[in-house]
Amino acid sequence: MLAKLRLFARLALVRPRFAAGYVIVVVVTILAILAPVIAPFSPTEADSLSFLQPPSSAHVFGTDNVGMDIFSRAIYAPRIDLTIAILGTGLSALLGGSLGALVGYYSSGQGIRVWLSFALMRAADVLQAFPIFVFAIALVASLGQSIQTVVLAIAFVNAPIYLRLMRSQVLSIRSMRYVEASQVNGLSDFQTIIRHVIPNAMGPVLAQLSINVGWGIVLTAALSFIGAGVRAPTPEWGSMIAMGFQNVVTGQWWPSMFPGTMLAVTVFGFSLIGASIEVLADPAKRRLLLTDVRLRDIARAAKTAKRASLGQG
Amino acid sequence: MSDQFTRMKLGPSRRRFLQTVARAGGAAMLPASFGMGEAFAQGANDTLVIAAPATPQGLDIEFDVSLGSIDSLGALYEYMLGYEKIPDPNAPDAQREDTSVHADKPNNMALRGRLAEAWEVSPDGRKATFKLREGVVSNWGNPFTSKDVKWTWDRKFNAKGQGLFQTAVLGLTSPDQIKIEGDHAISFNLDKPSPILLKQQCNLANPIYDGTKCAAVGASDDPWAINFLKNDSAGFGPYRLSQLVRGQQAVFEARSDYWDTKPAMKRVIMREVPQSASRFSLLQGGAVDIAQFLQPREMEALKSEKNVAVDAVNASYMIWLELNAKIAPFDNIDVRRAVNLAIPRDEIIRTIYYGYADPQTAPMPYIYPMVDKSFFSYQYDLAKAKALLDKAGVGKGLSTTLSYNAGDPTQEPIALLIQTSLRQIGVELTLEKLPAGVFYENVTKRAKPMIFYLDSPWTPDPGYSLYLYFNSKSYVNYSNYNNPAVDKLITDGLATLDNSVRMPTYAEVQKTLMDEAPWGFIAYPKYTLARKANLKGFTYYSSNNLRFQDFTRS
Repeated sequence: MLAKLRLFARLALVRPRFAAGYVIVVVVTILAILAPVIAPFSPTEADSLSFLQPPSSAHVFGTDNVGMDIFSRAIYAPRIDLTIAILGTGLSALLGGSLGALVGYYSSGQGIRVWLSFALMRAADVLQAFPIFVFAIALVASLGQSIQTVVLAIAFVNAPIYLRLMRSQVLSIRSMRYVEASQVNGLSDFQTIIRHVIPNAMGPVLAQLSINVGWGIVLTAALSFIGAGVRAPTPEWGSMIAMGFQNVVTGQWWPSMFPGTMLAVTVFGFSLIGASIEVLADPAKRRLLLTDVRLRDIARAAKTAKRASLGQG
Repeated sequence: MSDQFTRMKLGPSRRRFLQTVARAGGAAMLPASFGMGEAFAQGANDTLVIAAPATPQGLDIEFDVSLGSIDSLGALYEYMLGYEKIPDPNAPDAQREDTSVHADKPNNMALRGRLAEAWEVSPDGRKATFKLREGVVSNWGNPFTSKDVKWTWDRKFNAKGQGLFQTAVLGLTSPDQIKIEGDHAISFNLDKPSPILLKQQCNLANPIYDGTKCAAVGASDDPWAINFLKNDSAGFGPYRLSQLVRGQQAVFEARSDYWDTKPAMKRVIMREVPQSASRFSLLQGGAVDIAQFLQPREMEALKSEKNVAVDAVNASYMIWLELNAKIAPFDNIDVRRAVNLAIPRDEIIRTIYYGYADPQTAPMPYIYPMVDKSFFSYQYDLAKAKALLDKAGVGKGLSTTLSYNAGDPTQEPIALLIQTSLRQIGVELTLEKLPAGVFYENVTKRAKPMIFYLDSPWTPDPGYSLYLYFNSKSYVNYSNYNNPAVDKLITDGLATLDNSVRMPTYAEVQKTLMDEAPWGFIAYPKYTLARKANLKGFTYYSSNNLRFQDFTRS
């Protein structure tokens, strides 16, 4: 573990932007976990005597138009946003990735499997063409406004992405020799897919996961902004921005600025993590990165040796 | 090293691409920004530019009572009667309709003739005859006659829209009750006397149509010109519709052949600006003359602007909670009373309305005659509220849902304040935010236990208002309130012209309603208008709309 951490630290020095991503996400996660301890006020109790107070020592981020403390709500919000985004994205990866593996494995040949693959791809086209907000509002109208509805909306909208990604990976992998070998060894299609195809196709999927988690947070916020997300007064960045943005024109910028900034920074962090996974998951890019690390180590060692020799001299 | 190569390979071309896009985007913005400025810039002094939340979706009051539509009605159409105007006590530059009871005036009302030059009500109150004004022509050039009035009221029976309520509330059961007495005379013949017959002639919901034009365009497949009147007008008002681009703007031109004083504003542009923050900015920047329906906080911010004036007048608006008497726990009268005791009205008015509202202390608008606020007994008292909940047997762990309109920015914060307050007495409210279309569907379906409603009865009469919301057969009785004794009192009060009988009758109704609390009474929001300081003539109407012909520039 320690060796891996040292390697990670060296990687971070070579690619500081990767490290920044992990730091951001870790900090946000810690805030979410420790929010009940850190938050000075309840995130859901209105206090009309303190409405629209600017940032001060009493209320670090100020208060909103019903007197709720913005700092407390902003650090509670990741509990909702991260949960929804991770659950929704995970569900979409599971659903889309599984279907994509099947579609990719059976997309050639004959029989009903081919037709089913074709039908699934067309269904994915239809789903992906559907405007997300219209789809989410329709879900809210039928299922009611809740965290579960938002998770489902994110899962359904993102599933086609993983379906296509996994399918394209499997299309190239299924003709590999090791897949043939597993079939020759008597493994069933299902066993081959699970043991050999999916693990080797996961690289781009993992990279996409991180980016989609960031996108899921934005989507959650956007759905809350239009009233199709979580219920008030659940602390959530999008609903906080929605409640606060109309105050900007009259000079009360803080109700939407602070949650907006935290939202942007968190999504940025996930994007950076996604970029790092893309590099680490690709063997060729990983080799190049490690080469850079070694070159850096060599340069440091040479510098140290030079200083030592000059000192002795 | 490979990354350096990659940067070399992609970097310059990517940089060049981004630079090109930025330059192209900037160049594209320039004409757009000039275009926008031109679109909003004011022309002559006789052009009125209004930033409105919406353009009219339909121009037919029978089917559309949205904001943009009701402002258009007052410009395009004329009415049989109107109220005299008096200065508003709260806004020095404003006037308002005089809807008070005047024992020294004919019919006890301060009315003035519009399309009706004179009128007479029979001693038994069952027949009203109107002598119609001669020499009036419509925007299509057709002369105004009694046939137009007849056609208008016949349409109410046949178009199957809100006109059915207008006829029912007068006790009209057949078009035959409206009789042509001559080219310029018409009579309304009622089975019972109606104290609101003359008031209904002033109601924005009862414009007079050019029956000749409507009959000509309707033909056999649309005899009531429903399709035509949705998109155009056929009336005797001071303006004609020049352009309607839904979602963008509506343009009205003053008519040179209008029978009354020609409007000072020859041209009116109603521009759709959905966000109140944008309307605020446009007025602040001088790009528009009026910014409609700003948030209370924005009105407050505009007070300090030199070239802007803010008017706030007492209005017929009411905002309340429908407590559904058919859905638990609001089928219990003590629970409804407890909710009323726990509504923090003063907090709501201070925090959400910035003082642009008054506490609702009666089940009808506080500006209407015969309102009685003495029966209000729901001063904020959580201990009393808790005791009532205990008495109702729901003292521990009561939870229910409060639904509100996502399209109304005041409702969510009000809901939050009510939720916090009720939590203190052990009531947990789940707040349900509904998109506007879904919200109104749930209101009309009476599907929710607790839901906000903001409305105003347009006829300034206690019988009209109480019938509308509390008669058990009324379509608008969204709280499912059902009290046969109250039904009878409301109906009795609508069948006599004698105010000495009506007043105690409606006092009894109001007392019962306040006691039985079918609503969570919240506030009377004021009607506010943010305008350029040199724009004069604002008049408040109980239908809460603007009439462009009132405005002049000083």
